[in-house]
Amino acid sequence: MTEYKMFEGCTIGNRIPFIEASSRKVFDKLGIETSQAPFACCPDPTGMKSFDNDAWLVMGARNISLAEAEGKDIVSLCNGCTNTLRGVQHQLKHDNLKKDKVNAELAKVGKKFKGSIDIKHFVDVLKDEVGMDKIKGAVSKPLSAIKVACHPGCHYMRPAEWMESDDPLRPINLKKLAAASGATVVDYDELALCCGSAVTNAYEEPGFLNLKTKMDSIKNSGADAIVVNCPACFQQLDTRQRDLSKKFETEYNIPVLYLTELYALAMGYSPDELGLKFHRTRLNDLLAKIGL
Amino acid sequence: METNFEFRKQVMDFHIGSDVIKYCYQCSRCADNCPVTAVTADFYGTEGYNPRGNILMALLGYKDLLLGGDDLTIWGCTVCDTCDEVCPQNIELTEIFTFLKNQSIALGKGPEFIFSQAKAIFENAKAIPSQPAIERRRDQLGLPTVSQPDVNEVQTLLKNIGSDKKLK
Repeated sequence: MTEYKMFEGCTIGNRIPFIEASSRKVFDKLGIETSQAPFACCPDPTGMKSFDNDAWLVMGARNISLAEAEGKDIVSLCNGCTNTLRGVQHQLKHDNLKKDKVNAELAKVGKKFKGSIDIKHFVDVLKDEVGMDKIKGAVSKPLSAIKVACHPGCHYMRPAEWMESDDPLRPINLKKLAAASGATVVDYDELALCCGSAVTNAYEEPGFLNLKTKMDSIKNSGADAIVVNCPACFQQLDTRQRDLSKKFETEYNIPVLYLTELYALAMGYSPDELGLKFHRTRLNDLLAKIGL
Repeated sequence: METNFEFRKQVMDFHIGSDVIKYCYQCSRCADNCPVTAVTADFYGTEGYNPRGNILMALLGYKDLLLGGDDLTIWGCTVCDTCDEVCPQNIELTEIFTFLKNQSIALGKGPEFIFSQAKAIFENAKAIPSQPAIERRRDQLGLPTVSQPDVNEVQTLLKNIGSDKKLK
């Protein structure tokens, strides 16, 4: 397997690094090689893109050019970063005027966007390059005692036109991958519903109402945990779950695991090594069920 | 209500796929599948966030109506891209909403969060800057130090396109 440039992103790198810890452990175990690059913010497809699309394009193109200079593809740990980098590449590849404009700006700082590399979400690297057999082979402690509900998030598969990863409204990749840990994957009605992170940052009221719809549906599924592949979704479901419980006087207490945390547990890593204590929604009951 | 033809042209020209906006026949699949409409619209759908209405107003060039009222009109969008997937005319609604949001910012309007994130990115080249406490945690978790971006270079790029002038 080729070496990727690791794009951990601002949220994982500088706020919730325990997700990077499990990711690096799982990558090592499965033979995914990565190296670092001085990437800037991707930038955020829900924030900075809304602020100024041109700024989003030029910063995104600059990040891609850093990986291009080394001739390496990017593996991203985050839906948002993947969506931005793929989206920037998509816009620039389909609009030469825009591409020339962006390259004129990049030339002033000695950089150039070519569009010569691929940007992959780590879920797709696991699915397409590592493969189910190898993942199942690396599982030493199957998590057969627990039921999980999957939340792939929006920007992993939408817009389908440039994400090219999964069915945009009935996603299956995360469900299949989560099942490789030995856990039972349960379905729920609101699988494809947004976590609401972006709107909650601007307007709490509709944000929490949306989160309630999502969490009620997950609660009804009987899941012991939620599996995610995006740090923004992780924070929305993990951190804001407590506020939601207070607001609507409903107990949820459904811990959230990154796909790589689920795998790391199934591969025998301890909760301490993974920094699971930094989660906001407590994992005690879940860990007890899997004998930890 | 007045049609702003310049604005209307900008909407049409914004993006490679945007001219398909003129094929919108107001079927409302976008609003029917919008998670924010679901929790903000009233019984008659006359209040709250409405992607269908935004497309209609953008197409008609009603700039003042779109940008002059309650911020929720535009900023209620949570960028989930669901509308893009269900639109029978393949209109990339979210790209048009991006244009509307960019216009709103140019008028100095929009949620505080958007301005503060843009400011953080301008100052640190990261939406979330590195902090000593997190660096220590990374170290405890056996992680390498985050590779630091060239802040000056990013600031130069943003200044050259005038993005810094939109900051509050």
